[in-house]
Amino acid sequence: MAAFLRLELIRLVRTPTYLIYLIIFPVVMYLMFVHVLNVGGPNPGQARSFYMISMATYGAIGMALFSASRIALERQIGWTRTLAVTPLAPRTYVISKLLAGTIAVPAAVVLVLASGVLLGGVRLTLAQWVLIVALLWLGSIPFAALGVGIGYVTKVESSQGLTVGLYFTLAILGGLWYPVELFPAAVRTIAEYSPAYFAGDLGWRVVADQAPRLSSIGALAAWALIFGVFAVWRYGRAAR
Amino acid sequence: MAETVISLTDLRKSYGSVTAVDGLDLRIERGQKVAILGPNGAGKSTLLNMVLGLLAPDSGELSVLGGSPKTALTKGRMGAMLQDGGLVDEVTVGEMARAMAALYPKARPVEDALAIAGLSELRDRRVGRLSGGQKQRVRFAMALVGDPELLIFDEPTVGMDVEGRRDFWKEASSLTAGGDTVIFATHYLAEADSYADRVVLLAKGRVVADGSIATIKSLVPFKVVECTLSIADVSVMNDLPGVTSARTRGERVILHSTDSDATLRALMDKYPDAHEFEVGGVDLEDAFVALTHGEG
Repeated sequence: MAAFLRLELIRLVRTPTYLIYLIIFPVVMYLMFVHVLNVGGPNPGQARSFYMISMATYGAIGMALFSASRIALERQIGWTRTLAVTPLAPRTYVISKLLAGTIAVPAAVVLVLASGVLLGGVRLTLAQWVLIVALLWLGSIPFAALGVGIGYVTKVESSQGLTVGLYFTLAILGGLWYPVELFPAAVRTIAEYSPAYFAGDLGWRVVADQAPRLSSIGALAAWALIFGVFAVWRYGRAAR
Repeated sequence: MAETVISLTDLRKSYGSVTAVDGLDLRIERGQKVAILGPNGAGKSTLLNMVLGLLAPDSGELSVLGGSPKTALTKGRMGAMLQDGGLVDEVTVGEMARAMAALYPKARPVEDALAIAGLSELRDRRVGRLSGGQKQRVRFAMALVGDPELLIFDEPTVGMDVEGRRDFWKEASSLTAGGDTVIFATHYLAEADSYADRVVLLAKGRVVADGSIATIKSLVPFKVVECTLSIADVSVMNDLPGVTSARTRGERVILHSTDSDATLRALMDKYPDAHEFEVGGVDLEDAFVALTHGEG
């Protein structure tokens, strides 16, 4: 499995457009929010750390979601068929893809955090920085499971559209682009149960000098379970 | 008695209303080099995919190396080159081969596998930059890197040039000289002729002929009579005794005859201009067409 995971990581770092999209895009959006749009009005410092977390979360869930959903592409080109006639168990293949995707998550997170420090003037303790990276990594897990499910549900053309659509929808609904406090009340209620909101909430609490809510971790575990069941179901069907 | 490597009994597989494999019985022994031939749609790929465990049969018994295909694959005892087996473009040939070798319990040294497949000089090239024929060699390297005792090739030389095909079969022959079993499907009858020691001919999902090349040829009840002759309408030749089909190739008239002596006598008698006669047995292609009723 280690050798196969290595192959996955090599592939990941050699797909620059894909990596740039997933790592650079959140940074660019961060700069747009805090420097061009000047969101936050009376309290720019708070807005800068809030959006740093929002965009780091956005980067983390994108990395997890897209890495896993690329299974659809690999099914289309026949790579999974090639692997099917080797001793590699299909389950090991999926786990390797999940690991490769999640190993890349901190890369996306750290770049946004660095721009928060260098360009947003955010200052936190070392413990807080480490905690944020760890929590966002944790928060990306349900999205990796969702990505695997998408990878086994669709053909490649529709999978890319579906992944992008779900990515934006879940990010916006989770308050990563605009805080859920600005949403109409009914939408806000739904938003506060969506997976990206719980992932963001873990980090927002840290920059607000509060302890992360255990309920958010529990809710993320529930979402991971829901998406995991979906992934296992689709995977099982495709394997037959 | 030689050990049975693959045993298929009354195997059946349909896709909706289309029957791909229709009650197929086949037993393959260790060390045999078996060519699976047949027209498109005869069930060649379906058969190989069931042997590889990629497709489940609707009914019938299937045993590979004394167990299920999955067990044979998991233990690294069976390797395959698939027709539609994709590769990933971002990695180099060497990286790919190393990752694959690591999956097998008793893999060959990676350098050996690359050398056998003729890839040593392409080791550091990315798979995405290879030609179709070179990619086919990468698939070959992936099939053999685990040193399996049973090799399955589905149309292995598609996309290769003439030289590449010759090299492939040369390497495949020396690779399997030690008693490995090879089963391959091909469209190139010459490959079956020069490499296989047993030919299984499929048509409509059934075995229509099974044996050595000579056996297959002898199953065809006609000979080929040829001569040089200018003739406007070759179909009149069908009236000669014994003739079952007549065609031309340039100035040559080519007849299939169930009684070549009678055909030849009548031909000389009726067409004094005819010359350069030749009478011979059928080649594998003629046998193939005859036994599969011209569906090639």
